[in-house]
Amino acid sequence: MDKAIIVDRLVKNFEVTEKEPGLTGAVKSLFSPKKKTIRALRGISFTITPGELVGFIGPNGAGKTTTLKTLSGLLFPTSGFVSVLEYDPWDRRPEFLKQIALVMGQKNQLWWDLPAIETFELNRAIYEIPKRDYEENLKELVDLLEIGKLINTPVRKLSLGQRMRMELTAALIHKPKVLFLDEPTIGLDLVAQAKTRDFIYEYNKKYGATILLTSHNMDDLVNLARRVVVIDEGRIIFDGVLEELTERFAKEKIISVTLSNENDIKRIETIGKVKRMAFPQVVLSVPRAATAVAAAELLQNFPVSDLTIEEIPIEDIIRRVFKGGLKRK
Amino acid sequence: MNKYLQIFKISFAQEFAYKANFIMWRVRNVFQIFLIFFLWDAVFSDQGRVVFGYDRTKILTYVFGVMLVRALVLSSKSVDIARDIATGELSNYLLRPISYFKYWFTRDVSSKVLNIMFAVVEFAILYLILKPPFYFQTDIFTNLSFLISVGVAILIFSTLIFIVSTVPFWAPELGWGSHFLVTVVVVESLSGSVFPIDVLPQLVQRVLMITPFPYLIYFPIQVYLGKIGGFQYLQGTLISLLWIVVLWLVLRRVWSKGLKVYQAFGR
Repeated sequence: MDKAIIVDRLVKNFEVTEKEPGLTGAVKSLFSPKKKTIRALRGISFTITPGELVGFIGPNGAGKTTTLKTLSGLLFPTSGFVSVLEYDPWDRRPEFLKQIALVMGQKNQLWWDLPAIETFELNRAIYEIPKRDYEENLKELVDLLEIGKLINTPVRKLSLGQRMRMELTAALIHKPKVLFLDEPTIGLDLVAQAKTRDFIYEYNKKYGATILLTSHNMDDLVNLARRVVVIDEGRIIFDGVLEELTERFAKEKIISVTLSNENDIKRIETIGKVKRMAFPQVVLSVPRAATAVAAAELLQNFPVSDLTIEEIPIEDIIRRVFKGGLKRK
Repeated sequence: MNKYLQIFKISFAQEFAYKANFIMWRVRNVFQIFLIFFLWDAVFSDQGRVVFGYDRTKILTYVFGVMLVRALVLSSKSVDIARDIATGELSNYLLRPISYFKYWFTRDVSSKVLNIMFAVVEFAILYLILKPPFYFQTDIFTNLSFLISVGVAILIFSTLIFIVSTVPFWAPELGWGSHFLVTVVVVESLSGSVFPIDVLPQLVQRVLMITPFPYLIYFPIQVYLGKIGGFQYLQGTLISLLWIVVLWLVLRRVWSKGLKVYQAFGR
């Protein structure tokens, strides 16, 4: 198997009923429901090789979660081809389900009123994990996530961060080969975020698991994913190495100069967009193509003691990705 | 099989998670029995009164029978299925190698077992206090027939509930309403749990006996009372089994259609 995941021209439409606010709106929609088709995915294609860790990013409503849900067999594709570990996810065959996991930051499978260990035991039976493997996996996960003391506490008494780690344990107790993570660090404090991240990294390395992860957390992406797929309005607009995002989407470069006196400092605005001015430091953003000209002009006409040209930080690009509206070049 | 045993166990544990709540529930049950007993006891206070062929002993047995069979047949955890679908909770089950129906059926059975365990104790205590003129069936064969008819009733009710619960696939906000319509209005009135079916006109009775509803409550009780046996029993059981097959086929079809429009809400 040279591809763990294949997605080819996947389309997913949703039918939704629109409702006007208030009681009149509710009554109206009862008698003449206004149907609307939402085109969540408009023909996306990509493949992922076994063991790869790919970040899936885009603004809200771009279609990330829809893709993950389709890949794990929850949604029926409107058209297109999907294959995960050479299975059609929609069949939801037990052999397939035993090899995957979908973890959603805001969904939980833990039994709220019972200690988490009960859910783990239940999953052991459901996934038919041999006793020895189960104990081994559990010990490993408990150590990695540092939750040893908590597994006998009723879930409702755990903090969000603790619960999230329990969720991860419950979702991974059967050691899935393919892991779909939807916002795994959402709502966690910084320490818990870092722990979860370390864990995902370890899990990927140790078991060679294929991981597809969506996140709005910059650190998740910068630290974990080498490859990112950017999706916007149901289309893939970028698929490649994280660093290349800059080249692809940054239309500007950053020039920072250190000036030796304040004369003419106002005039500097004619050269580029001033991002920050705090004498002696001035930071300008200039169009990519005009960088060299701008730099030359600066050196010629201003009392420059130091000058550097930089790319826009990757974080800024990702932030722009989240906002949406990036256009395919 | 082991997985469903585990579900049975965890389901059981779950019931005891809120002890006070559990006790209140049982207390409520006992009060309900008191109420119903005194109501019918008052109606039939005149010892010789016979209404629609039911005298005091028979109607009280019927009323107690209804409570027992209801506890066995209509008590159901699977009312939560509709909510699971509407909220997207269903995804949790679809993602795991487990049959969703068997899951809920197991949870139902576990809830029923718990219910019976306590009901038996409560019934014994109440019996000693109220000393109602209860008719005890002594014939082993009749008792066995009764148990079979209860088992069949449970299957009918479960498939029925499963089918009704699929409504939220298409109309997420209708989950509770459709449930109410079917379980409270249709099932309660047509199953014989409010009044025995044989007080109705012959024609209505005959029509009703072709539907699955009387086989939920009325039929098992009549079997217990020895009023239905032999050919009638076989006929009734056959109709019930046919209904199970039909309902099961409908369920399979509706379910696979529903899953295709399922939107896995929640995010």
